[in-house]
Amino acid sequence: MVVLISSGAAQAGKSAKAKGKKGTPAEAKKEAPKLPAEKLAKVRDILLGDDDPGAIDAAKALGQSGASNAMEPLVDLLSVGGPPARLEVAVEALGALGDPRAVDALEVYAGNHSPDLRRRAVKALAAMKDERVVPALLAALGDQAPDVRAAAADALAARKEAKAGPRLLELVKRNDAGAAPALGLLATPELVPQLAELQGSVDDNVIASALGEYLKRDDVADPLRVDVVRTVGHLSGAAATTALVEYIATVPAKDDRPSKKEAQKLIDDKGTAK
Amino acid sequence: MRTLAGRGLLASAARLGAVAMAAAALAAGCATSAYQRAGNSDDVASALGKTPAGTATGRPENAAGRPLAFLALGGTKGPRLAAYDLAESRVLWTQPAELKARVAVGPDILVYGAADALVARDISTGAERWRQAIAKGERLLGYAVDGKNVYLTVQEGGQHLHGGKASLRALEASTGGMRWRHEFSSGNVGAPAARGGLVAVPVQSQYVTLLDADNGEQLAQVLSSEEAATFVRALPEGLFFGSAGVFRLTPGTAAGSRKSGGYARAKLPEFVRPVYWFDLYRPEQGDYSALDRNRILWRMTPAGDARFRDDLAFVHNYRFFFGFDARTGELKWAYNHPESEAVASAVVGDAIAFVSADGDVGALDARTGARIFAAKLPGEVVRGATFDAEGWAPRGGAAPAPPLSETLSKIVWDPDRRFWDVKMFAIEELARQPGHEVTEQLLKVTEQQGLPAAVYQKAGEALIARKDGSAADLLARVLSTHADYAEGKSAPAVEILARAAGAMKATTAAPALVEHLRRPETPPAALTQIARALAAIGATDALPALHDFVTMYRADPLYDGDPTPLVAASEAMLALGGPAERQLLLYLAEEPHTVEPLRVHLRRALAQTAGAEARLRAAASTADE
Repeated sequence: MVVLISSGAAQAGKSAKAKGKKGTPAEAKKEAPKLPAEKLAKVRDILLGDDDPGAIDAAKALGQSGASNAMEPLVDLLSVGGPPARLEVAVEALGALGDPRAVDALEVYAGNHSPDLRRRAVKALAAMKDERVVPALLAALGDQAPDVRAAAADALAARKEAKAGPRLLELVKRNDAGAAPALGLLATPELVPQLAELQGSVDDNVIASALGEYLKRDDVADPLRVDVVRTVGHLSGAAATTALVEYIATVPAKDDRPSKKEAQKLIDDKGTAK
Repeated sequence: MRTLAGRGLLASAARLGAVAMAAAALAAGCATSAYQRAGNSDDVASALGKTPAGTATGRPENAAGRPLAFLALGGTKGPRLAAYDLAESRVLWTQPAELKARVAVGPDILVYGAADALVARDISTGAERWRQAIAKGERLLGYAVDGKNVYLTVQEGGQHLHGGKASLRALEASTGGMRWRHEFSSGNVGAPAARGGLVAVPVQSQYVTLLDADNGEQLAQVLSSEEAATFVRALPEGLFFGSAGVFRLTPGTAAGSRKSGGYARAKLPEFVRPVYWFDLYRPEQGDYSALDRNRILWRMTPAGDARFRDDLAFVHNYRFFFGFDARTGELKWAYNHPESEAVASAVVGDAIAFVSADGDVGALDARTGARIFAAKLPGEVVRGATFDAEGWAPRGGAAPAPPLSETLSKIVWDPDRRFWDVKMFAIEELARQPGHEVTEQLLKVTEQQGLPAAVYQKAGEALIARKDGSAADLLARVLSTHADYAEGKSAPAVEILARAAGAMKATTAAPALVEHLRRPETPPAALTQIARALAAIGATDALPALHDFVTMYRADPLYDGDPTPLVAASEAMLALGGPAERQLLLYLAEEPHTVEPLRVHLRRALAQTAGAEARLRAAASTADE
């Protein structure tokens, strides 16, 4: 087990906590711990050394450290390469650190032939608060591997990246279940009818999944939501019922909005039909 | 049974009307072979003396001398036979008729095989004139018309094809009355051909029996000793036989020697099905079939050695026609018939007449491939056709043939996906054509999705061979396409394009190659070619990408078995890079996680280039001083 936080860094962490008690939390947040140079060099040696388990542990520890300079040895590892297992952990660790300086290295690994490594790289990129990652995430929607596309879709939805809407719609048209929730989260009102029109050509469960997410959004006017509820009600498959049930669950008990009533009615009807 | 050996005896027997008895007698007396004199050139010379010399041009068989096409029609109106006047572009008559075999044409009648008879119809009206029943236990093997006679070969007895015995029967064309009958010793005979008083019948796949059209007397036997004689064919320019090639029937070819000068075989590309004529031993080939749509069309010079007329041989391949120099195999012209297949075709002199399944009637100039005639039978489904249009050469109103490259491009881009062998050929021929636009067409091939791998290969090889540097920008554009699942796009044929880029030294393609080097879907073989191309181009800007590629995969077990892409990329780094790249590669060569084959290669490559590197450093140092 590699323990990265040096006494200095640990002190810095403690100091931050202490400051948190007395000082402002924002101030405490700003001051990420920093690994001492000697420690950093040692960890770099482990990362690039012969000991696979040790290197993997070191990479994980760097990711968990939150240290402001923890990114450096990880990027060094990616830069010279190594066994895939080591690279996978390094990529994840960079995601955990969220340091935008790792974007370039992660973009390279988002093109690795291993779908698993690509997925991890996409997730790591998603963790970066940096606009530079958006093109890479949009590109990843075109990946051949469903898991990679789903990771990119989730990341773009989380970033509320409206530019992803048309590409997500294309994926849904190709029955890509992984893209459906993200599309529901990002769809504009204009895009909803297009989604509804896919009935018959796309799996109902995929459409229900997208519309189900759309229903849960706060920014949707209830009259439109009623229409969406009805559309979902017409869909077959478990996902449609789940979408309605989940929607009702998100609405406060006292809220008696028409879309909720409609959803309940449709669920009751479905139950009766059974 | 008649044989040449017993000709005198049999002639007497025939006169006595005791053919069967004579046959039995001969069978008893001639225990050796019925083909003892086969291959005798004197016999053949004597037989040929009965026929007129070959002529360069002929005229239609029909007495009116009109260029006609007889069309076997199908579709919702049922099976019918129609006579079409090519000169006047109109249907002369249509009659309900269920054809089971091709139409053969004489001066006043035409005949065709029906289910249980040979049927003769009036050529002017289509009215039935007579029918010769094929009895139970008999099998119609084939037929021919020549002048006033109709000849048919019929198998009698024997459960299987070519079992039992066979006979050649000569009928009066006008009445169907029997004129004479010739018995063969074997049932293994093919359909006849007849010309100017001589009837030729293929026998036992190896012989061609020549009979006197007047009385059925056997005059000679050809021995096709070097290849099977599956067909005999009568043309204005002579009688021909053969299978893999064409023998002109002359005394010199009596023994079927290919070296006699009487043998011709066109040099044609691989996609061509080498069918010079229908296999007359196979009655099913007597009917209109796919074979009519995929074969070699040819005519011969009228005299002398066997030589294709104008040294041209033509290929009909469904919707496509090609004219080749028969001696060199050089493609002279190509024609792409739009949309529907040509179901029948014939060289009728200077023109190639054809008719398509949906009723297009056309003719091509045999020398240029230009479309010189176009007519339409609206709403008809054509199953097959026989042309009686010798000498027909429609002129006037014909547009010049488009450039060969244009036609070849159209063939390549034809949406019909069945004909990849033809398209491959078209690509190959296209590649021989000059011009930037041809390079563009070849690049376009590599861009297309879903083509057979061999097509990309062929187009790519052509691109590589062209080394058309002016197409570098086009190449870069094609390479800029990437696979995208969301957009349903696949990558172009990167491997072959990379090779082309390297051959062209296409600097502008380097960024696109780098992009492919970084993409997950790029296959190892393409990665190898990309690295090589970048080195060939001298793309130093690609060094970061090469670095990333080598380091990212250098410890990947995927490359443990075949490190070729990594080797190529490291070679490119050595070729394009400097000390920094060398240092990195030295590290990778020693780092134990690097896959062993790459380490071995790097050590060797670095050692081999160490001297040069040191000399460069020394030179640089001296220059600095």
